[in-house]
Amino acid sequence: MFSRWNWVACGFYLLLNICSPEASGGLVQSCGHIIPESPVLALGSNFTALCILNESCLDFGNIYANQIIWKIKNRLVPKEQYREINRTVSSVTFNDTSSLATPLTCNILADGQIEQNIYGITVTVGLAPEKPRNLSCIVHQLSRLRYPMTCTWNPGRHTFLDTQFRLRYSWPQETFPDCIPKDVNNSCTIPDVQFFVNTEIWVEAANALGKAESDPLVLDPVDIVKPLPPHNLSVSSGILPTVLKLSWENRISDAVMKLKFNIRYRIIGDRNWMEIPSEDTASPRTSFSVQGLRPYTEYVFSIRCMKEDGVGYWSDWTEVKAGITTEDKPSKGPPIWRVIDASHSPASWTVHLMWKALKPFEANGVILQYEVTVRDKSSLSSPLKKYNVTSTNHTLQLPNGTYEVTVIARNRIGASPPSVLLIPASNSKAPVKNLRTLPKHDKLWVGWTAPNSYVLKYVIEWCLVSSSSDCIIEWQIALGDVQGIDLKGIKPFKCYLITVYPLYADGQGSGQSVQAYLKQDRPSKGPTVQTKKVGKAEAVLTWNHLTVDEQNGFIRNYTILYKTIDGNETVVTVDPSKTEYTLSSLTSDTLYTVRMMASTDNGSRSGPDFTFTTQKFGKGEIEAIVVPVCLAFLLIVLLGVLFCFNKRDLIKKHIWPIVPDPSKSNIAQWSPQVPAKHNFNSKDQMYPEGSFTDVSVVEIEADDKKSFSEQDLKPFDLLKKEKSTSEGHSSGIGGSSCMSSPRQSVSDSDEGETTQNTSSTVQYSTVVLNGYRDQTPVQVFSRSESTQPLLDSEERSEDHAGGGDSTAQRQQYFRQNGGQDETSTDRPCFERTKQITHANEGDLVGFVQLQISGQSSQPLGLGMEKNTQEAALSNVLQTSTEGQTVRPETVEENPLSVDEMPKSYLPQTVRQGGYMPQ
Amino acid sequence: MAAADSPSAALRRRDLCSRGIRLAGKMRADVVDLLDAYVERQGLDASASVAAVEGVPPAAVERWDEQTGTQRLLENLAAYRAFRALLAQMLEEQREQLGDADAALGRALAAVLLQVSAFAYHLEELLRLESRGIPGEEGAGPPPPPRLSLFEQKLRGLGVLRELAQWAVRSARDLRQLAKPSPAAGSAPGLAESP
Repeated sequence: MFSRWNWVACGFYLLLNICSPEASGGLVQSCGHIIPESPVLALGSNFTALCILNESCLDFGNIYANQIIWKIKNRLVPKEQYREINRTVSSVTFNDTSSLATPLTCNILADGQIEQNIYGITVTVGLAPEKPRNLSCIVHQLSRLRYPMTCTWNPGRHTFLDTQFRLRYSWPQETFPDCIPKDVNNSCTIPDVQFFVNTEIWVEAANALGKAESDPLVLDPVDIVKPLPPHNLSVSSGILPTVLKLSWENRISDAVMKLKFNIRYRIIGDRNWMEIPSEDTASPRTSFSVQGLRPYTEYVFSIRCMKEDGVGYWSDWTEVKAGITTEDKPSKGPPIWRVIDASHSPASWTVHLMWKALKPFEANGVILQYEVTVRDKSSLSSPLKKYNVTSTNHTLQLPNGTYEVTVIARNRIGASPPSVLLIPASNSKAPVKNLRTLPKHDKLWVGWTAPNSYVLKYVIEWCLVSSSSDCIIEWQIALGDVQGIDLKGIKPFKCYLITVYPLYADGQGSGQSVQAYLKQDRPSKGPTVQTKKVGKAEAVLTWNHLTVDEQNGFIRNYTILYKTIDGNETVVTVDPSKTEYTLSSLTSDTLYTVRMMASTDNGSRSGPDFTFTTQKFGKGEIEAIVVPVCLAFLLIVLLGVLFCFNKRDLIKKHIWPIVPDPSKSNIAQWSPQVPAKHNFNSKDQMYPEGSFTDVSVVEIEADDKKSFSEQDLKPFDLLKKEKSTSEGHSSGIGGSSCMSSPRQSVSDSDEGETTQNTSSTVQYSTVVLNGYRDQTPVQVFSRSESTQPLLDSEERSEDHAGGGDSTAQRQQYFRQNGGQDETSTDRPCFERTKQITHANEGDLVGFVQLQISGQSSQPLGLGMEKNTQEAALSNVLQTSTEGQTVRPETVEENPLSVDEMPKSYLPQTVRQGGYMPQ
Repeated sequence: MAAADSPSAALRRRDLCSRGIRLAGKMRADVVDLLDAYVERQGLDASASVAAVEGVPPAAVERWDEQTGTQRLLENLAAYRAFRALLAQMLEEQREQLGDADAALGRALAAVLLQVSAFAYHLEELLRLESRGIPGEEGAGPPPPPRLSLFEQKLRGLGVLRELAQWAVRSARDLRQLAKPSPAAGSAPGLAESP
């Protein structure tokens, strides 16, 4: 209990002691202090600090040195480093100051628990300065009188302390102010120095831990001068074209130093400097003549200087100054070559002479003109031809022969040596061998093997091969002892045609050519493939070669890739020279996709896809089917025809029975007046126009057409009116043969069809007859195609001639046939009869009309016919009267029957006594 | 001449002579330049006649070629010590008159003063090599200058610089004469330096 109160009292006292101004004589009075106070320590050294307690604190607060603890920046120092010297002093020792930090505090543990700070110090750890090394000085000339000296040195390691450097210099009897560096610790500049006195220079470095001096440098500042370069450099050309004179001013007095110089120069545009030998400029001077220069060439010069004895520093180079030498005559003739065009005429050449402009160092001035001389070597008497040309080419028209061409370049000073080119009549000499190329970076090397004979020189021609422009020839001459040159300016991915000609003393060798690329790439596009022909199992593909501009390299091969929609792709490689390929073993009737790829050494590119479908049948398959079928059919038909022909009697018997000649029948004695008594029906009713549509008209010609009665021709008139296309002629009875169906005779009348349908089984022919062998003609004769003999009909006709029901049947039949007749069906039969009686003249006209139309082939309408009938009637009547003396009489005797006979006779006959349709 | 017997002493002597000759040449060049600047800055006539400066031995002497080396060195040393004092006084007066307004002239004066001091050092070293005692400066210095007017100060400054220019020429000739191999030594090659 006592102890606790004792410690509390002690802590209170400490607090009072620390805070009481009265007790401390100031604001704070500590219970102790540390020795040393804020030391600066060498890094790595050992260090001991003492904490000394005040006696006053001991008595009042029971504080002793054994209660002291040491801390570094709030970190407790191990007690092994403590040592209690006496009851008021405690020490702490650090073997290496690198473990120290700020602050180092002395503390006390009051009552074993409460920690109270007694004192603290700041510890600075660093290094003593090292001896500055590598001191060197240089005097930079700033003007004619200003020579500041700058010295630099190596300050050594970092000291972690504030270290002062100062540059000191002195004469033996004079000391100068120190030079203190600003912002740096390794250099200082003395504003002005005096020459010709040895000056001692050294550097001092000092900090809290020590001081160090560099080794002294003893020198005469004049020996470390870097002078200003000469100025006002000028270049002037002299009399000689190879000399330029330089002049300048020095900016340092001879009294200070004598100078030597370096002069360098280069051609403008060249990067390499040339230098005048130093021994030529080792003495003081202000001018120098540079010799050995190229004429008419612009040079730039630069100069520098230093102390004559070589002690010191070179000045900077001056700014370059340019000068140009004067002109001289060209040093060599221009290289010359030619291109001969003999395409116009084999006996005449167009010679394109071309030469290269001289390089500047060869031209030695401005080339004013070229003098071209052409000498015909095959004819000694021919005069020299001279041309003055300002360009670098000239075209001549020369007869085929051997020529010597000379070109001289001329400038303001003089002429060049001549360049001679021999143009032989033929390039009959040996060519170069083994011409080859090899890309070398951006140049293309062309090499060859020399011929066996001595070659003066080689001409290498090359041109860019392009489909869009002409091959513009470039050329170069190589000496005869080389076997390869580098071509410059070659573009990559372009095809070049290179030709090498050897030139001999007495002629020229033929050129050898090679195509080359500097660099190859894959083609810029692929070939476009298409089919030329597609079969069942094969397809012929065709394509065009890529243009040389599209190739970008040598096409090594083409690759054809084709596949069906769902099939695997098939690849075929094709030689690059081909433009056609046949795909075989294809599947028929299948869609194929094909594309084509062109390949160079550096890659490939495909063209567009093309699709085609193979055919279902192969070539000849259809023919193989169709032709036999046709042949079989024809064979069958032929056999049928032969069969018919063989069996024609049988066939004829069945389908085309022999029709008896009516003229030979006993009906030949039949009088036309007989049926007239039955002619009580109207003609229209008996023969409606439609009834003729199923009738073949057979005209039996007699000796005299005029012998036709007008009544005989009446049906033609009617036919003509309605079926102008159905005219037919037959040589006899049966003109509508067994091969022709009744329908073929009547083609385009619906009425007729209707009529035929109605009377399908009864067909008739109308036979118009002249009088046969002076017999009384039977004017109209209709034949039934019924197989029933007509004679039977006649017999029946006679049997039924007087029967009243037969009349009724006939009327019924014709009414049925004439149902389509527009004009006659509504009229009564007797009325029609009267009209017909009056239309007798019109029938005659109709006959005439038939004849006219046959001549003029100009059909006339029915109305028009009637209009013209009256006008022509008198003539017709007259003609008829003259031609036929019998018929008018017949007409007069029975005009009505004559009028009706052609239309109504046979049916009347048949229906009166012959066959009747069932 | 005892020291001249050793090769190092001869080399040192030759080096001192060489530097002295070149220093004299530079000093003359600088003094000539300074004369132009001084005349201009002080508003004087370059052709003005100036009386001889007191305390400075005249540069022109009779029988110059008959003088010994030591005699030459002693005369030179006396003259340059006088010049050093006069130039220091001129520099002080110039600073008083112009302050820092004409620093270039002050720098040029200071530079010439330094060269005079350096040349005096060369002479002393040569005298040391000659094994001759170096006279003290107390008696060799010029008498204390009387209090002069400003114009008189300018004229005296002009006279000092003119005399210094002449002495620079003579000193170069003296040192060249000294640098010639003496008959006794015979080993030191002559120098072809010119001021």
